[in-house]
Amino acid sequence: MLQVRNLSVSYGAKKAVDRLSLRLKPGEALGLLGANGAGKSSAITGMLGVQHSQYDELTVFGKSPIHHRRNVFEAVGVQFQETNFPDRLTVQEACRQWAALYRETADLEELLHSFGLAGRERQVVNSLSGGERQRLAVLLALIHKPKLVFLDELTTGLDTKARKALWNRLLLMKANGLGMVLTSHYMDEVEILCDRVVILRQGRTVFQGTVTDAMRRSGKTSFEDAYLKFSGEKEEDWNAIINHSS
Amino acid sequence: MRSLITLVNIEGRLLWKGMDLFIFGFCFPVLLAALFGYLLSHDASGGPSDFQLSFAAVTTIGILATGVMGFPLTIADYRHRRILQRFQVTPVPPAYLLAAQGLIQLAAAVLSFTAVAAVYHVWFDFRLDGSWTLFLLAYAFVTLAMYSLGMLIGSLAPNQKAANLWSSLAYFAMLLFSGATIPYNIMPETLQRLMNVLPLSHGIHLLRHAIAGDPMIDAAVHAAVLIGCFALGTAATAKYFRWR
Repeated sequence: MLQVRNLSVSYGAKKAVDRLSLRLKPGEALGLLGANGAGKSSAITGMLGVQHSQYDELTVFGKSPIHHRRNVFEAVGVQFQETNFPDRLTVQEACRQWAALYRETADLEELLHSFGLAGRERQVVNSLSGGERQRLAVLLALIHKPKLVFLDELTTGLDTKARKALWNRLLLMKANGLGMVLTSHYMDEVEILCDRVVILRQGRTVFQGTVTDAMRRSGKTSFEDAYLKFSGEKEEDWNAIINHSS
Repeated sequence: MRSLITLVNIEGRLLWKGMDLFIFGFCFPVLLAALFGYLLSHDASGGPSDFQLSFAAVTTIGILATGVMGFPLTIADYRHRRILQRFQVTPVPPAYLLAAQGLIQLAAAVLSFTAVAAVYHVWFDFRLDGSWTLFLLAYAFVTLAMYSLGMLIGSLAPNQKAANLWSSLAYFAMLLFSGATIPYNIMPETLQRLMNVLPLSHGIHLLRHAIAGDPMIDAAVHAAVLIGCFALGTAATAKYFRWR
């Protein structure tokens, strides 16, 4: 459902994403991993056609997200890293507004309930807690029963209970054929949700494969260590920084 | 169409909850209309009275508050907060959101116009010497010119702060120095020449022509300035507008 070949995103002379290639089948989840600034968000905005990019192939459901956006985005949900809302917009208005953009939508009551937002309908979005706003952002990405979702740091700001609930929901949707591309800094989350991962380092793909592959190839016993090795986020570097500043 | 209606509905609620437009674009011109009604001369022996001519100025305040202030500020805000970018990944183009916002601002301007006209007509027995058709046509010209100017500010402003500064400058400059509040005739001649730079001055001249019933051909230059403003504003918007 998603085919990307040699996608590059540049900001001036700086290459944020360098020749990224990946493909995704229905019911599959792909984790885009890397340190801050490694190019995860740029890769997502590039794949969505929001950010200007170079590519040899870029299709979603066999169509270009740039030239057939109307068609493609009917079945694609997106949660950007940062989701902002107009001042004074209430939860209910945010949902109504988003639902109006699509032909078919899910049961809103049920969604609000399962995202722990029932009873919050009349509250202004900008007065919600960080975690509630984040849950609303994910809810909106799923409001039209998409076949493919892009989730950029989906559980940042969520408490343990909310994270677990969201994982369960996503796993259920995945079992029903939902494709997912997600970024995360939590390796436990990646291990639970993702079938495959792509690790980026300064825009370059340094690893692509399953979680088990990553551990085997790096010679580490935990995925977190394997990730740290590939991504270049070594602990020694941080120790050096901490010692230096103290 | 269903999407657009919902978007208009929600943008309308947000605007209403904001209240600032209600104060600057509605209460302020209505109050000014009442003040002018009591203070200005109603003597129409030598052509239209000062009071009659003031109608031109007061009706433009609603256009100014929406077109040059409210509309560009919302465009800049929605871009800055990446709300337009969120719309870019839906089946509905982000232009719909801007269209909805523009429509609702325009509706607010029409409401402001209606209220001002009601005060002039019902309280002070205002009559137009010229034709309403020509007046409304001129009014439409002014609206187009001001909204394209607002679009331009919303497109060019690099951030929310700049948009705020630029719209405030344009709003207050035209509110004070184009005859919208302080009558053009009482300004010193040097200042009048400076005022001629502002497109709204030409808009108000054009509207006064329509009120007085003077031949519109004499006001062709004012109409030309407004058309120029519209053409320049839309062309530059098309060229410089960014979604993110």
